[in-house]
Amino acid sequence: MSSLATLLSPNLLSWKNDFLRRGEKKWLRRAVLISLALAFWIGTYWTIKRVLVYFQTVYDLGPALAYQLLLIILLTFFSMLLFSNLITALSTFFLAHDLDLVLSAPTSPATFFYSRLITTTANSSWMVLFFSLPVFAAYGSVFRSGALFYLWVILVLPLFVIIPAAIGTLVTHLLVYFLPARRIRDTLFFIGLFAFIILYFLFRFSRPERLVQPEAFGHFLEFLSAMETPSSLFLPSSWATEIFASVLFQKPVELWFFYPLLVSYALFLPLMASWISAAVHLSGWSKAQESLQGRRQGHRLDDMLNWMTHPFPEILKAIMVKDIKTFFRDTTQWSQLFLLLALMVVYLYNFKVLPLDRSPIPTATLRTVISFTNLGLAGFVLSAVAIRFAFPAVSLEGRAFWILQTTPIALRSLLWSKFLLNLIPLLFLGELLVFLSNTLLRVPAWMMTLSLITIFLMTFGITAIGVGVGALYPRFDHGNVAEIPTSFGGVICMIFSIAFIGATVMIEAWPVYLLVMEGLNPGTAKVGGWVIVPSLAVVLALTTAAVIVPIKMGLNRLEGLKDQP
Amino acid sequence: MIRLENLSKHYGRLAAVDSLNLEVQRGEIFGFLGPNGAGKTTTIRVMMGILRATSGRVTLGGYDVEQEPEKAKAITGFIPDRPFIYEKLSGREFLKFVGSLHRVDAALLQRRIPELLEHFELSDWKDELVESYSHGMKQRLVLCAALIHQPKILIVDEPMVGIDPRGTRMLKDLFLSLAKKGTTLFLSTHSISIAEEICQRIGIIHKGKLIASGTMADLYRLAKVKEGRLESVFLDLTQDGTP
Repeated sequence: MSSLATLLSPNLLSWKNDFLRRGEKKWLRRAVLISLALAFWIGTYWTIKRVLVYFQTVYDLGPALAYQLLLIILLTFFSMLLFSNLITALSTFFLAHDLDLVLSAPTSPATFFYSRLITTTANSSWMVLFFSLPVFAAYGSVFRSGALFYLWVILVLPLFVIIPAAIGTLVTHLLVYFLPARRIRDTLFFIGLFAFIILYFLFRFSRPERLVQPEAFGHFLEFLSAMETPSSLFLPSSWATEIFASVLFQKPVELWFFYPLLVSYALFLPLMASWISAAVHLSGWSKAQESLQGRRQGHRLDDMLNWMTHPFPEILKAIMVKDIKTFFRDTTQWSQLFLLLALMVVYLYNFKVLPLDRSPIPTATLRTVISFTNLGLAGFVLSAVAIRFAFPAVSLEGRAFWILQTTPIALRSLLWSKFLLNLIPLLFLGELLVFLSNTLLRVPAWMMTLSLITIFLMTFGITAIGVGVGALYPRFDHGNVAEIPTSFGGVICMIFSIAFIGATVMIEAWPVYLLVMEGLNPGTAKVGGWVIVPSLAVVLALTTAAVIVPIKMGLNRLEGLKDQP
Repeated sequence: MIRLENLSKHYGRLAAVDSLNLEVQRGEIFGFLGPNGAGKTTTIRVMMGILRATSGRVTLGGYDVEQEPEKAKAITGFIPDRPFIYEKLSGREFLKFVGSLHRVDAALLQRRIPELLEHFELSDWKDELVESYSHGMKQRLVLCAALIHQPKILIVDEPMVGIDPRGTRMLKDLFLSLAKKGTTLFLSTHSISIAEEICQRIGIIHKGKLIASGTMADLYRLAKVKEGRLESVFLDLTQDGTP
C-alpha cells in the first residue's frame, strides 16, 4: 500500500505545488476557468431539469422518457470513458516520460499496474464525472428522490468509471503487445477505429429514434414497455441506469442483482487487466521503445506537395510543406481524423432520422428552420475541429520554434501559412457538412445558397480565431498534442468561436425569418431574396474583423516573446 | 558483480547488440566506449530491464535481471543519458520519491537527503521546484537520486554531458571514491579522456559487437599501438568494425 502511495505521490505533489505556487496571473486564469465550468455546470443542470419537467407533462410517459434519456446519457458517458481510457492508458503505461525512472527501480508489477490504473482512471474520468453531477442533481431534484438517490450515485459512480478504465487498459495492453513492434502509430490507428466502431454500435444500441416513433410499436402499451427497458442489458451503463431508475421512478428492479453485478465487474476487470499487464507489459513497452517511426516516403509525395503549394510565396510554401509532412508523419495528429469522421457520420445520421413528417408545422418551413439552426451547429462542429487542428498549429512548432525565430522570416508569414493550411480542409469540411445535411433536409434553393455562403464566411473567422488565439496562448513545452486544446487558451478560443458563430447566426436570423414567413404565407412579409443582402454584408464585415483581429493579436504575442528570457 | 552472457538485442533485422559477453568485478570502474549508434545505450537499457533482450542473460550482483528484476534493481543505481525529473517537484521531494521507490527506510532517508544535497551543493535549492534548476543542477540532482539507496552497482550512461569542468572534476572524484568503497561502476561514454583517466578496464563496442576489452595496456597491444593515447586506439579499432 505504501509503495502504491509512493508511486502516486509525484502526481499529487506536482498538483499541490502547481496549485500553491502559482502567480497572481494564474489565479486570475483559474478564476476564469472555474467561472466557465460553473456556468457550464449550471447550464447543464438547468437544461436537463427543463427537459425532465417537460417530460413530466407528457401523460404516463414522463418517467419512461426520463429513463430513456438517462440511459442515453450514461451510454454516452460510458463510451466517452472507454475511448478516453484507451488513449490515456497508452500514454500512462507505454509512453510516459517517467517510465524509465519508475521501472528501473525495484517496483513490483502489481504496484506499478494499480498506480497507473488509478492515474489513467483519474485523468480520463474527472471531466466526465464533473459534468455528470449536474445531470444527477437535476434528476434528483425533479423526481424528489432525496438522499437515497445521491447515496446510490456515490456508490455507483466509482464502479461506473473503473469498469471502462480496466477495459481500456486491458485492450491497450493487448494492442501494444500483439501489433508489430514498430507500428505504435498503427496501434493508435486501431484505437481510433476501435473507438469509432464502439461509438457507432453504442449509438445504434440506444435506438434514440424510437422515442419519437410510437406508432412503430403497434400498441401504446408495447411502446411504453419498450420505453421502460434498456436496449442492451449487457452494458454497465444499463445496469447503472436500472439502479438509478429503481430509486428515481420506483421502477421494480432487482437492485441486488444489478449492484453486485457492477461491483463484481469493477473488481474482476482490474484484476484481469493486472494479470494481463504483468504478463505482457514489459514486452509491450520494450517493443514500443523500438518503434522506428516515420520512415521517409517516396518522392511522389514531395512532388505532389510542391505542386499543391506552388501558388504561394516561397516562405509560406516551405512552412506549409513542413507542416503537411509533420501532420501525416505524427500519429497523434492524423489519428484525430478518425474522430472527425465519426463525428461527421453521427452528425449526418441525425438528419437522416429526423421525423419531420410528423410535425404540426408544414414540412418545408420546418426544413428551412432546421437548416438555419444547422448553420450554428455546423459552425460549432467546425470550431471543435479548429480547436483540435488550427489552435495547436503554432504550439506544434514546439521547441523548434527557435528555428523560425532565428531565420529571416516574418512571423506574419508563419501565422498566415498556418491559417491557409487549416482553412482549406475546414472549408471543405464545412461546405460538405452543410451541403449534405441540407440535401438530406431537401431545403429550398435560396436556403442552400445562403447556408453555403454563410458557412464559407464563418470558416474564415473560425480558422483565424483558432490560429490567432493559439498564437496568443502558445504551449511550446507541451508533452502531448492532445493536451494543447484543453489548455486555458483552448477555452478562450472556444468562447471566441462560439461568440462569432452566435453573432453571425443572429445577424441573419431576421431576414431568414421574413423569408420563411413569406414561404409559409405568401404575400404577408412581401420580401424577396434581396432582404438577405445587407445581413450578408454585415456578416462579411464581421468575418473580416474575426480574421484580422485574432491574427494580429497572436502576431503581437509572438513578437513579444523576443522580449522574454 | 555485473555479468553479460551472449547478450543480443535485435530491432527487426538490425542487431543493435550482438552476442555481448562481459564481466565486471566488485569495486571496478568499467568504461564502455563506442561511437554514436554503436549500441551502448541499448546495452544499458537491457541491463536495467527497460528493454527486453532478444537473447542472452544479464546478472547484477548475482540476480538475473529478467528472472529477479526487483532484487537486481534494488542494488543498482542508474543515471540515464536523458534523465527524467518531475519538474513540479522540489529537489527534496524528488529525492524522497526515488528513495521510497528503492524502499529506503524513512529515518535513513531523512538523514541521507540533506547529506547528498549538501555534497552536491544543492542545499540552498532543496525546496525550489526542479523546473527552476539549471541543466547542471538537474544533472547533480539525478546523481543524488542514483546514490540515494547506496547502490552496490552504478550504471551511468554518458555522465558528463552538459557538465562544466568543475562538475566534471567533482564527478570523477566521486566515481573514484565510490569504487574505493566497493561500488561497481559501469560507465558508458564516448569521452575518451574520462575513460582513460578513471577506468580500470575498457570495453569498445562497435556496430553492436564488443570488438575489444581489457586494460589500457591490453588495448594498446590489440591495436598494435606501442604508446600514445586511447584516442588513437579507439579510432583505429572502430575504423571498419574489426580489430
